Amino acid sequence: MTFRQFAFNNVLRNKRLYIAYFLSSMFTVMVFFTFAIFAFHPAFSNGSVNQNALLGMAAAGGIIYVFSFFFVLYSMSSFLQSRKKEFGLLIMLGATNKQIRLMVFLENILIGFFATVGGILAGLLFAKAILLVAENVLIISESLPFYFPTLATVVTFGSFMLLFFFISVFVSFILRTNKLTDLVKGDKQSKGEPKASIFLSVLAALLLLIGYGTAIYVEGVGVVYAMIPVIIVVTLGTYLLFTQLSVFFIRRFKNNTSIFWRKTNMLLFSDLSFRMKDNARTFFMVAIISTVAFSAIGSLYGFQSYLTKGVKEMNPFTVTYSPWRDDSKEIIENDINKINAILEEENVEAKMEDMELTYYEMLDQDRQVLITKASDYNRFAALIGEETLNLEKDKAIVVEQSDAMLTQGTKASEVLMASNVPLKSGEEIKPSHVIKSDVLGELNGYYVVNDDIYNQLGTVVRSDHSAAWKAEDGQTEQVIEAGRKLDERLDHKAFSVEYQLYEINKAFGPILFIGLFIGIVFFVSAGSFLYFRLFTDLDEEKRKFRSIAKIGLTETELKKVVNRQIALLFFSPIVVALVHGIVALTALSHFFDYNLTVESSLVLGSFALIQIVYFLIVRFFYVKQVKRMVF
Amino acid sequence: MLRLSKVSKIYEGKVAYRALTDINLEIEKGEFVSIMGPSGSGKTTLLNIISTNDMPTTGEVEIEGENPHKLKKNALAKFRRNELGFIFQDFNLLHTLTVEENIVLPLTLDGTRVKEMKEKARDIAESLGISAIMKKRTYEISGGQAQRVAIARAMIHKPKLLLADEPTGNLDSKASKDVMKMLEEINDKEKTSLLMVTHDPQAASYSDRVIFIRDGKLHSEIHRGENRQAFFQKIIDMLSLMGGDGNDFSSVRV
Ligand SMILES: Nc1ncnc2c1ncn2[C@@H]1O[C@H](COP(=O)(O)OP(=O)(O)O)[C@@H](O)[C@H]1O
Ligand SMILES: [Mg+2]
Repeated sequence: MTFRQFAFNNVLRNKRLYIAYFLSSMFTVMVFFTFAIFAFHPAFSNGSVNQNALLGMAAAGGIIYVFSFFFVLYSMSSFLQSRKKEFGLLIMLGATNKQIRLMVFLENILIGFFATVGGILAGLLFAKAILLVAENVLIISESLPFYFPTLATVVTFGSFMLLFFFISVFVSFILRTNKLTDLVKGDKQSKGEPKASIFLSVLAALLLLIGYGTAIYVEGVGVVYAMIPVIIVVTLGTYLLFTQLSVFFIRRFKNNTSIFWRKTNMLLFSDLSFRMKDNARTFFMVAIISTVAFSAIGSLYGFQSYLTKGVKEMNPFTVTYSPWRDDSKEIIENDINKINAILEEENVEAKMEDMELTYYEMLDQDRQVLITKASDYNRFAALIGEETLNLEKDKAIVVEQSDAMLTQGTKASEVLMASNVPLKSGEEIKPSHVIKSDVLGELNGYYVVNDDIYNQLGTVVRSDHSAAWKAEDGQTEQVIEAGRKLDERLDHKAFSVEYQLYEINKAFGPILFIGLFIGIVFFVSAGSFLYFRLFTDLDEEKRKFRSIAKIGLTETELKKVVNRQIALLFFSPIVVALVHGIVALTALSHFFDYNLTVESSLVLGSFALIQIVYFLIVRFFYVKQVKRMVF
Repeated sequence: MLRLSKVSKIYEGKVAYRALTDINLEIEKGEFVSIMGPSGSGKTTLLNIISTNDMPTTGEVEIEGENPHKLKKNALAKFRRNELGFIFQDFNLLHTLTVEENIVLPLTLDGTRVKEMKEKARDIAESLGISAIMKKRTYEISGGQAQRVAIARAMIHKPKLLLADEPTGNLDSKASKDVMKMLEEINDKEKTSLLMVTHDPQAASYSDRVIFIRDGKLHSEIHRGENRQAFFQKIIDMLSLMGGDGNDFSSVRV
């Protein structure tokens, strides 16, 4: 038997030991490949998708690759750790270091090859499944069909063979003479307790505070400039948080006997502090990739909501009609008849109102201002069930500008409140107060005046006809269809909100889908990091609990310790990621000047919920495993 | 204080194996009893049944008139922790804890006050001569010290019955002697009943009585007289009388 054969058989014989390493490598390949399938999708390369979205995807692909590298390297090192005894035996039997390094190298290449092939196959299935889900959840009618991903396959295969090759070289290089003997004799005992430097711990807290502070403080375009520095500072801060600050606190905690010696705390935290070195790495990766997931999904969802909510708010009516400026009375009448006919065609039951929007020149303002009479306003308001106004004689009020307007500086209402409504007679009416209302689709704010006063206003400088329909509830599909026809036949003069939203969602669907996909992939990888972290130490845990159970450990106590241990592992990085996510989404909402509280809570809340469910499932199996061994 | 009546143990498996047959045994309060026998004769099985880590197939175990095997799981764990003390061949210490923490671990689980734990640990460490290593970690101490730490942990709650499985199995003869002297002293001073499994005649000679078992059955027993050296000789004689092959007692140290 040649040594090469020996290495090959070694893999086959120690199946169980290799399976964990193999699966985690395969999983990594699968994630990358599934991502590549979408990134190289023909639908995106024909230019229909926003350039920025493509850039974002490329960046995400790069991040996935970098994390793949660390993840494989990390799985690899815990795999080697668990084989110390085997190496020891081989050395005692006379194997040279060179032979062992060669063996490890060959094994890695072998596992890497099969993991790559397996990952690609699994990725095909996974991608197909995701597409199925996506088609049913998002509006991406046929725009993302399944295809045979030649390019993605080539890229994935190439990148991962390269990656496994480098890792194999790297690892066998690391296993130099002294390292190998270290591995052999270096059991748990030489593993010292990690120490923390006070300086770095303080630095961690400072970096996070500075990062958070900046992210929350900056507004508007400032967000863009601050983004990169803040990301760097917070990433560094997160790393130090887990490697230094948390170690620092755990050590303080361990030195405080009144806490550390309480009940099951000693059992819980003694190991935690020893494993903090390994844990810190996992925590850091999990926190960062979860943050990426939360932010990606949160931003896209927030952006979509920003777009659609603006449209919805500005257009409370089902259909609004505004003619071109030089359209004659006949054309307008003709158009309105057409609209009514189309609505009837599609069986949409709707009520209609129309009015003239009259604009006036104002003394101290550089634009023409809309002034409406209360009765007109009220007719429109009644149509959509808004509160009507009851204006006394001599009264004028100001309607606030739309929320959708991005403003830096004075609001339109302030300007309007500051000036008076001039009458023909030279008198002026002072507006009494500001209200918020979406009744008229005027972005810049306007005056509503008593009908009597309206008749005493000066010359109208501009007059637009406006007609609005409000359909009864529950006719969405007919309304969308009618909207499509209106859009085609009325030359953009008629505007249907429902149809517009449908179009926005359709255009936004694929981008949202990719964001969602990246987010989910990242989140799932984060989950699997935690899973591997937990199960790497399973044997040691079992041994520990077994030896305490011999002296007397109740099942309740065991469950309590295990429960808290897993909870700490699963929730500390996620809580950090959630805080990061909240800060990131706050910054985003400052950038848009748009309140994202609901959207953020929804996204972050869903992730938190998923994590809780995941925690419960993993805990169930883990406790079962430990209990079987211990009792 | 400990009474076994007709205890048998059958290990179920592909081939059922009868490890113990009708063992009757009684230990007085404050007595120090050793159990000897060739390897595979059922010593550990017997100790596990007494320590409630294992259930007898038939027969009864009574500790101070109470049958612990009838207790519910959680109550049983508490019983073990509060009424029994354990010493193992491999010390069974947690390497992530310091010596002191290892000693107080069983007490922490019961929610004892910190001050009380500190005092108890200090007292017992003093009497076992390990005060100087209290802050050390388990890999920084020798085997003999580790076993003394284990004894301290087993004794800190003043158990009624101390059970030891090959306590000197991993120790050199000097450390073995120290540990045995310590156990003898504990038995003497605290009047703790002590049951020890060993195949080291030197260690067994510290006890009041040695029970020999073979093939899962009681074979014979001898009592210690005034002289430990003579007792030791009697044990050696009995072992050779029992035959078996001498290799089973390879750890004989004189
Ligand atoms: N869990 C078990 N299942 C089946 N057989 C066992 C088990 N534990 C011990 N035995 C068998 O019972 C016999 C007695 O074992 P043990 O009590 O460990 O002997 P020793 O006197 O060396 O401590 C041995 O033959 C052993 O193979
Ligand atoms: Mg044994």
